[in-house]
Amino acid sequence: MPRFIRALCAIATVLAVARPVGAASDAQFEQLRLIAPAAPGGGWDQTARVMQQVLQRTGLVRTVPVENIAGAAGTIGLARFVGSEQGRGDTLLVSGLIMLGGIVMHRSPVTLREVTPIARLTGEYEAIVVPASSPFRTLSDVIRALKERPESLSWGGGSAGGSDQILAGLVAEAVGVPPGRINYVAFSGGGESLSAILGGQVSLGINGLAELEPQIEAKAVRALAISSADRLPGLDVPTLREQGVDVEFENWRSVVAPPGIGERERQRLESVVAAMVATPEWKATLERYRWIDRYLTGESLARFVEREETRVRATLQQLDTGQSSGGLLASGAAYPAFVLTGLALTALAALVAGRTERRSAAASADGEKSWGTVWWIGVALAINLALAEKVGFVIASTAMFWLTSRAFDNRHPARDGVFAALMAVGAYVLFGHLLQLPLPGGVLERWL
Amino acid sequence: MFETLRALSDGFVNAFALHNLGWALVGTTLGTAIGVLPGIGPALTVAVLLPVTFTLDPTSAFIMFGGIYSGAMYGGSTTSILLNTPGETGSIATAIDGYMMARQGRGAAALTTAAIGSFVAGTLATVALTFFAPPLARAALRFGPAEYFALTVVAFTTVSLLLGPSRAKGLFSLFLGLSVGLVGIDQLTGDARFSFGIPQLLDGIDVVILVIGLFAVGETIFQAWQYGRSEPEAVVLHDFTGMNRDEWKRSWGPWLRGAAIGFPLGVLPCGGTVIPTFVSYATEKRLSKEPERFGHGAIEGVAGPEAANNAAAAGVLVPLLTLGVPSSATAAVMLAAFQQYGLQPGPLLFTSRPDLVWTLIASLYIGNVMLLVLNLPLVGIWARVMLMPRRLLFAGVLVLASLGAYSLNGSLVDLAILYLVGAVGCAMRVYGVPLVPAVLGLVLGPLAELQFRRALAISEGDLTIFVTRPISFVLLLVAAMLLFSSRLLTTRLASTESA
Repeated sequence: MPRFIRALCAIATVLAVARPVGAASDAQFEQLRLIAPAAPGGGWDQTARVMQQVLQRTGLVRTVPVENIAGAAGTIGLARFVGSEQGRGDTLLVSGLIMLGGIVMHRSPVTLREVTPIARLTGEYEAIVVPASSPFRTLSDVIRALKERPESLSWGGGSAGGSDQILAGLVAEAVGVPPGRINYVAFSGGGESLSAILGGQVSLGINGLAELEPQIEAKAVRALAISSADRLPGLDVPTLREQGVDVEFENWRSVVAPPGIGERERQRLESVVAAMVATPEWKATLERYRWIDRYLTGESLARFVEREETRVRATLQQLDTGQSSGGLLASGAAYPAFVLTGLALTALAALVAGRTERRSAAASADGEKSWGTVWWIGVALAINLALAEKVGFVIASTAMFWLTSRAFDNRHPARDGVFAALMAVGAYVLFGHLLQLPLPGGVLERWL
Repeated sequence: MFETLRALSDGFVNAFALHNLGWALVGTTLGTAIGVLPGIGPALTVAVLLPVTFTLDPTSAFIMFGGIYSGAMYGGSTTSILLNTPGETGSIATAIDGYMMARQGRGAAALTTAAIGSFVAGTLATVALTFFAPPLARAALRFGPAEYFALTVVAFTTVSLLLGPSRAKGLFSLFLGLSVGLVGIDQLTGDARFSFGIPQLLDGIDVVILVIGLFAVGETIFQAWQYGRSEPEAVVLHDFTGMNRDEWKRSWGPWLRGAAIGFPLGVLPCGGTVIPTFVSYATEKRLSKEPERFGHGAIEGVAGPEAANNAAAAGVLVPLLTLGVPSSATAAVMLAAFQQYGLQPGPLLFTSRPDLVWTLIASLYIGNVMLLVLNLPLVGIWARVMLMPRRLLFAGVLVLASLGAYSLNGSLVDLAILYLVGAVGCAMRVYGVPLVPAVLGLVLGPLAELQFRRALAISEGDLTIFVTRPISFVLLLVAAMLLFSSRLLTTRLASTESA
């Protein structure tokens, strides 16, 4: 046991060291929560974690917990944000172009109009590349092939409806090819599409420049065009514009506040973000991640978002009319039909098998089953579900623990109650505090 | 070769500074601690702990990464074995026989074979990473959608070994999993399928939730139903001393084979840890002279998958370090962390900052040793969890399972799904429907569909792409042979038995 205690001490020391030492007096916020509407590892998550680091290091905010609410191009996080953070002046959601696309693609009932825009922070250009072994030397080679038969070129890029596909659609439209006929193959995450491009599995790659630049430098891929307005220093790649494709594009990211916050709270959030982007730490970070500084606030931000929304909506609607170029088997309907048929058939077979077995086993009736205990556990689970967010993790878990243990054995109610409370508090302190997982504190939040 | 060794020894010199060893220890401890919590996989573990490393100098931070990574990969096995609650997808296969061993009083042996297997395979895989990373990464790039589809077909043949006594029920379970896998956004078109207007279902049902629900919550409800209060708790003789001679003899082969299976499958981008662990499990069952012991506490079924899991974890680093390709969520988080220190991951990483890369590799070796040193003495203590009265044990399982499921997305919907799946899991136990095919269906089904359709999109609907590409053809052939041979074997066994 002492070994374990020593380990715990070590954890405590590390986390104590990790806490920012910045003086509390000049911190504008005690706490600022950041919500990344994506899983760890992606661009939004990186943005949130970089902000966390800069804000804490510079002492602008004392603690910056980051929460990930992943799913559906950020629209799940957005819906939760609008639903449950209403009026909270200490919470920001990371957002951006891809969320606009997600809102259109998934017909999200919640849109960016409902949140309070705070600031656009960064932008990332995109690049169109081909594998090193590709016959295409320039963008005009690609355009020629595209005009001949659009489906013959497969474009590998990120998730459906994301920035990569939007750009592919914009390029197609600009050169006079119906965007619906682009053979776009969606890969999840940067790594998957990158390896498809590097391995020559697709004819073209379209991806964020930050991800592709190291590959371009190492000559693992050949860059045909970048989506910026002008050529970038230190990168010998022509823009789309100078090759006759009238498209300018960047994947921007921003932060927004919940709806229904007061004017003073909005200003406070804006000023802390403004202070953050002015720090040398932020500038250094931008350089490291190859993000462009795209800080923009207020009226002009609102107008910018509106313009982008129109553009994204128009492009995605055109893409939507396209058909899969792989035929019926490659469509989204074939596999579900197969699976559901299989489910029905196997369910039938299992039922038949169960019948014959039951008959043979009927003689050896296996004693009395205790439905009472099952009820107790059902009640325990229902109570946890009902109470977890309303009155907090500790009370809900204590109740669930006690009820479950009571279901199995009701001889030691008092002792089990103590165990239950200890377990719940212990888990809350260990996971909620030390490891900063988002657990609802509820009514006991002030004491824990 | 010589240069590699010199660079590596430089890395070791960095890592062996006393304070750096301390950070490695802290990293493995923290990684294991969070990895133990069901639902918190290695990706989130590394992400949550990133801020801790920001205060350190790059060398120490990288050493801690190595520790966290190894620890998080290992952590899931403990709860898997003792509580039937796999913390992440890589330890599902471990739970099948590990939990049975724990119930039979051999929990300490299961934990020991998991710890040593992780060490052996992790170290072997790190050696392979040290010497053969660049050619391996280049070979992995030859895998396109057609090859990945063929690979999932091979993985599907393992299901045939896990169907249980009734083929009909096993297949039903498989299709149940496949159906659950339909829920969510169609990744190729972005259309929602079977999400019934519930936004939380748009991203599908998380494998971890399904697994914790079926295994942990389902087992709790089932135990309550079957034994409840009426039956006195069965007395099991527990042995907390680790492995006996026979178990050592049984573990060696699976460790080595697990490493050999796990590492290359980890190198393949998008491999994940489910395919390697289940392929290892199936291999052990197929090679075993007594395959009927599997599912009832066969130590090979713990040793193989655990080894494969850790070897795959080291394999994931191959494309990350040599090509700059993050092939898993964990790798993507580590990539972001590299960038914090001004490293540009990519093909030039090895040449631009060799010191840091070699320190990281050295710390993987150290992390593996630390895990062993840290965990072997604790095996006896952890295994004593099984001595807890049943009421407290299952109550604790429910709290931990709920905590893990909730903290995945901070959503009550996940919690509700967890309990629903638990009820289904209990019903499946009652009616003798095996659980594992459902899990495999959920994991492999969407993957197979996605790669199949991607391949067809690239070939413009030409089905011959699967047989004209050599690797894909060979894999499909292997799958056909595996399926055919097992069918042949079972019929022959059946005929000899009846004769």
